[in-house]
Amino acid sequence: MDDPVAKRLVDSIIADFPDHDPGKRPIHTVGIGVKGTFEASEVARTYCIAEHFQIKRVQGKRVPIPVTVRFSNGSGSPKRHDGWNDVRGMAVRFHLAGDRATDLIAMTLGEFFVRGVDEFLDFTKSARQTPVKRESALRKIGDLLSLMRPLPNPPPGQNQSGDAGTLDYANKHRFAQLAVFQAGMIGAPVSYVRAVYHAVHTFFIVGPDGVRRPVRFSWKPVAGVQTTKDTSKNPDNEYLQEELRRRLKEWPARMMLMMTIGEAGDALDDPTVPWPARRVRVVMGTLTLKKVAEDQVRDGEKLSFNPWRLVPGIEPSADPTLKARRDAYEDSRKRRGVTQCPFLPE
Amino acid sequence: MSCKFNPADVQGNILRGYRKPRVRYLMLEISDRAAARRWLTAATSGTGGVPQIATESGQRWATKPDTCFNIGLTFEGLRALGTPAASLATFPTEFVQGMNKRAIKLGDAGPSAPENWEQPFNEPARVHLIASIYADDVAQLDRVQHDAVGGQQAFKLLRVRDGWCFDGDYVHFNYQDNISQPRFAEIHDRDSFSDSQPMAPLGTALLGYPTNFEGLKWRIPEPEPLGYNGSFNAFRVLEQDVVGFEEYLTAAATELLEHPKVNELLPPGAEANIQVKEGQRLPRHDALREVIAAAMCGRWRNGVPLALSPDTPNPSPDVSRTKFDYTNFDDDGAARCPYGAHIRRCNPRGGQIVQRVANHSRRLVRRGMPYGPAYVHDPAKPRDPNEPKRGLLGNFIGANLGAQFEAMSCDWLNLGLQDPRITGSNDPLLGANEPETSWFDLPLKSGAPIRLRGLPRFVTTKGGAYTFLPSMAAIRYLGSLTG
Amino acid sequence: MARNGTKTKAEGGTSQKGWFDWLGDKLDQWVDWLATTKPFAFIAGRILVPYWAWRTPVKRLEGGPRPSVQPGDNVQRMMNLVMPLKDKSAVGRALAALAIAQNKDEIYAGLDNVGTVHFARFVIVDDNICMFSVYDGDFSNYIRDFIVTIGSVFDAVVELVEGGEDVIPSAKHVEKFIDWVHDHDIYQVSDVATDILRDQEEANGDAGAGNDDLRLLPRKLILQLNVNRNVSLGSGYRAYPGYSAAQVRQQFGVGW
Repeated sequence: MDDPVAKRLVDSIIADFPDHDPGKRPIHTVGIGVKGTFEASEVARTYCIAEHFQIKRVQGKRVPIPVTVRFSNGSGSPKRHDGWNDVRGMAVRFHLAGDRATDLIAMTLGEFFVRGVDEFLDFTKSARQTPVKRESALRKIGDLLSLMRPLPNPPPGQNQSGDAGTLDYANKHRFAQLAVFQAGMIGAPVSYVRAVYHAVHTFFIVGPDGVRRPVRFSWKPVAGVQTTKDTSKNPDNEYLQEELRRRLKEWPARMMLMMTIGEAGDALDDPTVPWPARRVRVVMGTLTLKKVAEDQVRDGEKLSFNPWRLVPGIEPSADPTLKARRDAYEDSRKRRGVTQCPFLPE
Repeated sequence: MSCKFNPADVQGNILRGYRKPRVRYLMLEISDRAAARRWLTAATSGTGGVPQIATESGQRWATKPDTCFNIGLTFEGLRALGTPAASLATFPTEFVQGMNKRAIKLGDAGPSAPENWEQPFNEPARVHLIASIYADDVAQLDRVQHDAVGGQQAFKLLRVRDGWCFDGDYVHFNYQDNISQPRFAEIHDRDSFSDSQPMAPLGTALLGYPTNFEGLKWRIPEPEPLGYNGSFNAFRVLEQDVVGFEEYLTAAATELLEHPKVNELLPPGAEANIQVKEGQRLPRHDALREVIAAAMCGRWRNGVPLALSPDTPNPSPDVSRTKFDYTNFDDDGAARCPYGAHIRRCNPRGGQIVQRVANHSRRLVRRGMPYGPAYVHDPAKPRDPNEPKRGLLGNFIGANLGAQFEAMSCDWLNLGLQDPRITGSNDPLLGANEPETSWFDLPLKSGAPIRLRGLPRFVTTKGGAYTFLPSMAAIRYLGSLTG
Repeated sequence: MARNGTKTKAEGGTSQKGWFDWLGDKLDQWVDWLATTKPFAFIAGRILVPYWAWRTPVKRLEGGPRPSVQPGDNVQRMMNLVMPLKDKSAVGRALAALAIAQNKDEIYAGLDNVGTVHFARFVIVDDNICMFSVYDGDFSNYIRDFIVTIGSVFDAVVELVEGGEDVIPSAKHVEKFIDWVHDHDIYQVSDVATDILRDQEEANGDAGAGNDDLRLLPRKLILQLNVNRNVSLGSGYRAYPGYSAAQVRQQFGVGW
């Protein structure tokens, strides 16, 4: 099954990163696989019949669900730049009974940049790497006098960036403004498990009473959110994976799965629009990360996550970006030659 | 300020309904200020061919006049007449802003949003005066319209809208309406209206009198002749999806037939108690439709209140249509009239509500008439894409739009703040419902209710305006303005 | 699918810098440093802000929660009244404290009967008496019900506040009083950073008219804070959003 749209989407991403390594992911290229478990909250099953939100007991004892998690840097460059301003990813695979699985893919940005395929292609075009233009001292003074924020200085060693293009795109497209604004100052976390990750798209969950509810998911770190304050000339660019290994040897890390329930009038099909914090929020469960996977090829690089890998009880919304991701992830998987998504009709 | 109530100073459509079968509204823009002032002066005495404005007589009419003529002015209208700025500044904010700007409070969003309103309400600055003519037939309406606005320069006629009672007091959705209204000691004989609600103080509807709130009076717009004995009106054009409503009843009844607790809602055989036509026994599905329709309104379609007759629209002996207040919990009717039923939401009477101080305080005078032809539901007939437009031309009258009409609309009709059991849901009939999230609970004797979901929006606002209903003295004052 | 990824070229290769580049670097560092200095802060506050406020005037945005038809937005709404005291001495502040202390029964009984209030408290900040509360439903209804039940307390407090004499007794000036209170309810900056651009457009009636430079966002914020000295940053955190006070009480079995 060759999907021309999916192919164009993946190509457009690859074009943004000239040092793309064909054997690797075109984006979120650098990452680390982690093993852990997920335990649904007491109330989760009253909202959703999906298997991972049920409380499973074996001989009276609660059995949590095994999970594989991949944390990643957003960039499509195969080089590690942990200390750079970048969106991070957290893809979770819940391993269900009988070798089945479901994925929940999240990132540290609360909203997406665009609303659909055509906008995405435009956006990636504008995000092509261009030589970093450091703002001149004179321009900076001009900015200050205009009460504008001078452009941030690029980190040392960064000669090319898509920042100027994305800013220009945002100034021409309102829907992209929030995500671009946030992404511009998102920074770098001190640890992969000290950031909030948002699944961004709306899904519909089905309760035991048959009620369908529009929801959005977020992972909230129990350890709290912290970004680095490292403003040195040469920030450490290789620490996130080491930090995670060190941390998990000593102590498991936990993340809380929060689910927000949308109301009539909330953006259901548009991932660029956030939902207000005034919506009902439900604790759906706790993720416990136990150790960095021993086999990083099998449990990291060769895994293929897909936001559309869902189980009965969770349905995708009509969000065109979500739909496009389904096929783009599948296209990308094929190029990398890794395990197929079982759900896609051939 | 004079304390003696002089009914002849008050326009006749405020404290009492005329009970005429036809109404016509003339939406007018003032095009010549001086001529409009002369017109107003003439209307107070019915001279110069201008129809005379009908006033409250204070007693029953010996003989009913053939037609009644009344007017309301928007804030833009007062301004167009040249009302002094100092005087305009004494009008309440919601009236100054106008209905379009207050849309969110009224739940007028989405398809009901002002940007989708029909002409002339999509240009609120041009709607200055809304005149109403009540009559027995169309010839009379035409005659009064001609007298009022034919061949004059004062106004430009923006639009005419007619309402009519196609079936006595029955309105679209096939309910009997116009049953319960605030009654005033100064006007109504207490003994001839059996209602558990207290008589309404005059300040419910008129400016200058005590209100339902102890020690609290609304500000009277200045100067006194302009504000005193005046009132405010929310005029609304509410389109009703009669087909959608009947279709929903059918779908909900079908769903209920499968519900494990349906026998508690309607015990087998109890359909015999639900007669729409005398002697006609409804099939179970059709009886359930009537049960749902009754629950959504709080009254059976014939007007019998659920609070007094929860099981049948044909109680024997008959029950009062108005003598109830949701406080008698021994009588299971009080508990079985759904908390979210339309009439209970809009007027919880003496029943328990969250905002205890607000009991009885948000009452409104309602004067409405349907528009569009009667609809006869025929389940065998598919929806006609050219179904004529139907709805209600409603007037929601009170001395304070913010404290009555808006307060009722934003916290009670929608949102359901008055009772935690309905908070987060909207009125099943009038509310800004979306099928994805809407719900409505049918109470059961055993406790946990049956929750209906997927209610669409049955009523869409197509226009409206806040108007000031000036006293006769006020009309004379406005007519005498100079400059 | 995060973007904003960046990539390096010729990393590790040491670039040959001339003295011109060196000078440019120094100048650049000097400007970065300059922005953090006290003299610059002084110039920004005393000259740049008034200048831009004059060049690109902004309207003072309305206080209170933004209007919405959605149920979640209509429960647990924040009211933050900041009311400057007439008497700006410790005596004035003590009078305000006394007015509250003397009316404890009135306040508690009133709030019980208004029924829609989650939390309410009075706070003195500098020369302001502040009332912060979390309430359900419409603002006007809340204040009106409040006037009915504890108008006398409102009167006792508002009497001490600048401009308060025009709106008391509240029971005789209900409409004016509600408008006055609304005017003292501080602006709530949106939780969504870019909304401040949209809010200002709406206030100015120039939606869609070239306010799209994201880099102007700081100036827009500064100029709004110039006309709105006190603001609420966001609509606030809620532990259990979406529920009314009565729903919480009912759920806990403590009656409503």
